[in-house]
Amino acid sequence: MKRLYFLVVLLASLNLINGQEIDNDLVLIKQRMDSIKSYEAQIKLDIDISFINMPSKYGKVQYKQGESTKVSSEDFIMLPKRGLDLTLNEIFEHPFITVDRGEVNHKGVACKVINLIPTSSKSDFSIATIFMDTKAKRIVKSEISTKMEGVFTTSLDYKNYVDVLPMTIEVQFAVNNVKIPLRFLGKESEVDRKAIRQEGSKSGKIFLTLSEVQIVR
Amino acid sequence: MISLIRSEIYKISKQSKTLYAIAAILIIEGFVMMSAYYQGAGIIDLLLDNLKDSFEFRGNLLNGNLIIYLILNSLWFHIPLILMIIISGFLTSEYKDKTIETVMLQPVSKLYFILSKYIVSIAFTLLIVLILAVSTFFISYWIFGYGDLVVYLDGLNFFKSDDAFYRLINAFLSGSITMVFFSVVSLTLAVILKDATKTWIVAAIFLICSNLLLKMDFNNDIINELFFSKLTDSWQYFFYYEIPYSTIYFKNLLLLGYSFLVMIIGILIFKRRDIQ
Repeated sequence: MKRLYFLVVLLASLNLINGQEIDNDLVLIKQRMDSIKSYEAQIKLDIDISFINMPSKYGKVQYKQGESTKVSSEDFIMLPKRGLDLTLNEIFEHPFITVDRGEVNHKGVACKVINLIPTSSKSDFSIATIFMDTKAKRIVKSEISTKMEGVFTTSLDYKNYVDVLPMTIEVQFAVNNVKIPLRFLGKESEVDRKAIRQEGSKSGKIFLTLSEVQIVR
Repeated sequence: MISLIRSEIYKISKQSKTLYAIAAILIIEGFVMMSAYYQGAGIIDLLLDNLKDSFEFRGNLLNGNLIIYLILNSLWFHIPLILMIIISGFLTSEYKDKTIETVMLQPVSKLYFILSKYIVSIAFTLLIVLILAVSTFFISYWIFGYGDLVVYLDGLNFFKSDDAFYRLINAFLSGSITMVFFSVVSLTLAVILKDATKTWIVAAIFLICSNLLLKMDFNNDIINELFFSKLTDSWQYFFYYEIPYSTIYFKNLLLLGYSFLVMIIGILIFKRRDIQ
């Protein structure tokens, strides 16, 4: 009898794990983002990395449902590999499970925190932590640990309580200093190679500011 | 004096070495462009390799501005070497062909004669830098187009195309002062040594030492700031993200002072020495 009871409990727990659903609030946010057929916005990019000096860059961001987000500019621009997926399509590309991590206060907003754990080896991230403003039905922060490209922390700020797209996006990541081909050195005497070698990876930030946002639902 | 300058210009225009100088500059340009065309993408790839994990890049960095910058870097060694060889030849050839003796038999002032050599040498140097700059800008933009410039100088500096153009133009202008210094030195060496081969060797050694001394730290602020070899890189300062104009003006003015001093030394030696 005891063995039968143990088997029933084991099967029930396995069923519970296999049938774990995606967090309802995340699904609601995804549904809200899916209501966007397309959007266009002007974008301003600012880079904050100690060894890179770059003026503010301007471009245009375009999104159409079913396609990836495109950024165009007349200038040379550097885009973060993560942070532009405002519609969550990249995260939802492969199956995952969610684990509720409770509530955290983020910039004065009570946020529900969940972990996303991919269940497919095809997924390009190993774990993601999502901070959701469940009342405003939007994501305010995410920490995505990618398999190949390190950890990307994205903070999203919105103009008002109802906007579906953020006004500013801050993407933080680890970045290694550049290698310098000898022939490319501007003034060789100024390069402290030892210091460069010792620096290792550094934290970099990129700030994206959206304006003139036009959404088609 | 003016007739002497005209005479010097006429001599230069008739000498094949002038054409060789222009040809050498165009060949250097050609090599840099060919190298950039075939290897440029690889260089940029290597430069931005560590950033690829975090960033995607949009736009073309292998453009005319980068090519101009690479050619501009020939101001470190190639262009001054060519100028020093050609300009020292303006005087050594006169010693070799003994035309200087013929000239000195005429009622010509030794001061005006050597001064006209210096003036024409400076003008020739500026002309060569102008030819280099104009041809470089024209060909580079024509073949490689416009775009942002990336330079590694105290970090990775990105400049917008119009800003890059401004910086490159000013770097050529500033670099021309450095070239004038080397030209004046080579003519003074020609005054001292008279022999073409000896002058070429000493001029080349001077240039090499000057480049080596530029990189050397003397552990003394005064020497590090005032020594001539520390002043020959002013044109590179236009590629710092914030241009240090006061440093550039200081270096250029002091280098002009050095050029003037070297010229005075050359004139005094020439005046006091008998023409044989």
